[in-house]
Amino acid sequence: MDRRDFFLAGAGAAAGLAARPDIRALAQQATGTLTFGGSTPVLTLDPGFGAFTAYPGGYEASLVLYDRLIDFDNDMKFIPGLATSWQLAPDMQSITLRLRQGVQFHDDTPFNAAAVRFNIERMMDRQRNPTNRPLWDPVSAVESPDAETVIIRTRAPYAQLPNTLAHGSGAMVSPAAVARHGERGIAQNPIGTGPYAMENFTPGQILNLRAMENHWSGRPGAQRMVFRYIAEAATRISALRTGAVDVIDGVPAPLAEPLTRDANIQVIRRFGLRPIGLAINLTRPALQDVRVRRAMNLAVPVETIAARAFFGFARASDSPLAFDTPGHVAAGTPSFDQARARALLAEAGYRPGQGGTLEREGRPLRVAISVPDGLFPSDVQVAEIVVASFRQVGIDATINRVERAAYFDMLRQDRANMAWDLAMFGFNPSNASGLYHLESLFRSNGDDAGRPDVWNIGRYRNPQVDAALARANTDPSPERQNAALAEAQRLIWEDAPYVWLQVNENISAVRRGVQGVAVWPIVFTALRNARV
Amino acid sequence: MAWFLARRLGAIPLMALGVITILFLIFKMVPGDEATLAAGATSTQAEIEAMRARLGLDRSLLEQYVRHVLGLLQGDFGYSSSFRGNPLNPILDRVGATLLLMASAIATTVLVGVPAGIVAGASQGRWPDRLLSSVVIALLAVPNFWLGLMMIAVLSVEWRLLPSFGADSWAALVIPTLALSARLIALVARLTRGLVIEEMRKAYVRTARAKGLRGPAILTRHVLRNVMIPVVTVIGLQAGYLLGGSVVVERLCAWPGIGDLLLGGVGVRDYTLIQAITLFFVFGFLLINLLVEILYRLINPKLRHA
Repeated sequence: MDRRDFFLAGAGAAAGLAARPDIRALAQQATGTLTFGGSTPVLTLDPGFGAFTAYPGGYEASLVLYDRLIDFDNDMKFIPGLATSWQLAPDMQSITLRLRQGVQFHDDTPFNAAAVRFNIERMMDRQRNPTNRPLWDPVSAVESPDAETVIIRTRAPYAQLPNTLAHGSGAMVSPAAVARHGERGIAQNPIGTGPYAMENFTPGQILNLRAMENHWSGRPGAQRMVFRYIAEAATRISALRTGAVDVIDGVPAPLAEPLTRDANIQVIRRFGLRPIGLAINLTRPALQDVRVRRAMNLAVPVETIAARAFFGFARASDSPLAFDTPGHVAAGTPSFDQARARALLAEAGYRPGQGGTLEREGRPLRVAISVPDGLFPSDVQVAEIVVASFRQVGIDATINRVERAAYFDMLRQDRANMAWDLAMFGFNPSNASGLYHLESLFRSNGDDAGRPDVWNIGRYRNPQVDAALARANTDPSPERQNAALAEAQRLIWEDAPYVWLQVNENISAVRRGVQGVAVWPIVFTALRNARV
Repeated sequence: MAWFLARRLGAIPLMALGVITILFLIFKMVPGDEATLAAGATSTQAEIEAMRARLGLDRSLLEQYVRHVLGLLQGDFGYSSSFRGNPLNPILDRVGATLLLMASAIATTVLVGVPAGIVAGASQGRWPDRLLSSVVIALLAVPNFWLGLMMIAVLSVEWRLLPSFGADSWAALVIPTLALSARLIALVARLTRGLVIEEMRKAYVRTARAKGLRGPAILTRHVLRNVMIPVVTVIGLQAGYLLGGSVVVERLCAWPGIGDLLLGGVGVRDYTLIQAITLFFVFGFLLINLLVEILYRLINPKLRHA
């Protein structure tokens, strides 16, 4: 090949590539197709082996592919799923469910009590289901006295059993499909009983679904549903504006406000169940004084943070639980009062020392705040506001930015290795149980010297709170359960083991004309009842 | 030529081992415990240790390294937590899209940048030159993600001419190609212009004129040949950097290539996936450099026997 041939070949190839684009082949919507532009990819679709990924995209897809025995409505209240009715036993140690009859999996095998047993036992098995353990560990046995009835038993009274069954990991998978594709194969070949069935699936890129016209809940609202991964928020919004997608999630607060003014787009917003706050390390002597902790809470302009840092798409917390968590009560009022903060610190024995920093017995009041970069909404910016506010009342604070990958590991160290005084944290109770939330964060650890049992990272310990949580878990009366939860929230709020900050809204958007899309407080954009 | 190729190809295994070793060490140093990440945030110590044993992380660094290299030789890139297995398959699924985008960007560079440079150089100081030179400066100053955003906002959202994302049609290739190649087009146009101006002053051009050849004939038959050698070299060398640009552009346009996959891996802290893609990128870079050297020898006879 000489030079001339080489240039000719190159030019030819280049021209061939450049000449092909077909301008007319724009992404045209086939009628009846609902396309979801998701902020996270769909990678795996198995409730076992690490559960649906990525979060929340995998769960969102699972909610249309699979049914669960009990479902949530848009306000996280229980509604019948594959069970038409259920009854918790008075001792709170078992639940009896009546199964829906005549339901078939997408592979035409029947859904029945044997299938329920198969799935529940699969979730109980730590080998096959290593995740969501706090939800499934209490379950001890599952029985099927007849084809229409299933009884699930727990080791101890467990009021959250319906929440576990309604959680995404309670999805009913076809046992025949598991036998055919293997325990690990179901992740790419999901076979459920949901209103939509898989047509084809390229993990991380696109999931194509078709409607099951004869679904027990009625005819689905779209003929086809497509999950597409569009990582960049600005690109998702452009795709929605051009009509290439019908629904998007994960709209950042700064970009949401302009969208609300677009006549062709409807913004759907909903408070999440994850309150953000700064956990306080209660092993530090200075932070064991409740007056110091309350002063810290009073020093931070939480309402301004919600209004300005989040453009109004957030609200200052009034309880350890988020506003929409079942059982939430307003345990206190978010207040910003730096004069009272100073007074409380003076009462605790602190006097101004060098450079204006308060000190007591020669020890300056200094805290190091650990913050991840990008795990929580505007985390570093919020921490900067907190530091400035602390300094205004005489608390010297510094920010310690921690690599995201190492953050949760750092928080869950044993007592000797707690590298933080305050640390930003937020917990999303994915089973929508306020009790689960409070137990995970505020029930006393078995051993404060070791790693925290769940997420009580600050080593909070209040026997009254433990007692109230135990009551909420064992009392069969929903009213008394809620009363116990309310008591726990008030006790925790008073003890101030956190600097409470804000609850953010989850923001999705749909094209006008698309009906029935909801944002669930547990982050998910729910497409099951969407109509195009 | 054969001797040159043999030498270069012989060096590749050695370079590969060096790259693999450096990447292995870098990824051992990143913060965050691999076993904890793989086992999940609320796992118990026992579960973390079990995961550590399963992933072979409890062995000595040397043993891990040897296993890593042996695994790579068999196409085993390790355990990707997001894909629950060998990350090679998702990478192979997507590498074609990245190659297509790069090929399209290079083709666009050649088809737009070179003619623009020739026109500007041949009309030095007159209006076509001034216009093209201003455009070149603008393109050099604009970052690719901003250009991409603007093209999406105008060409897709406002005028509805092109798809705003994805790879569903050939039209979807236009915006990412232009965003990715804009800088390279400007560089090549500027270089070509300078070279044309320089060549036009040379004695052989004056001789050609004297023997009665017209301007266009001189340009295409004589000047262009001499100009192309450095231009091809620069395009080749810069093509490697397109790999870096593709990460940003692929994410912005939701183009399903390995750059987008890489950022996704970063988002979920899937170090195995990140390491595997980085390896692909580095090898891509080495391969491009080798190709450039071969091309260089093909088009420059002076070097062929060197």
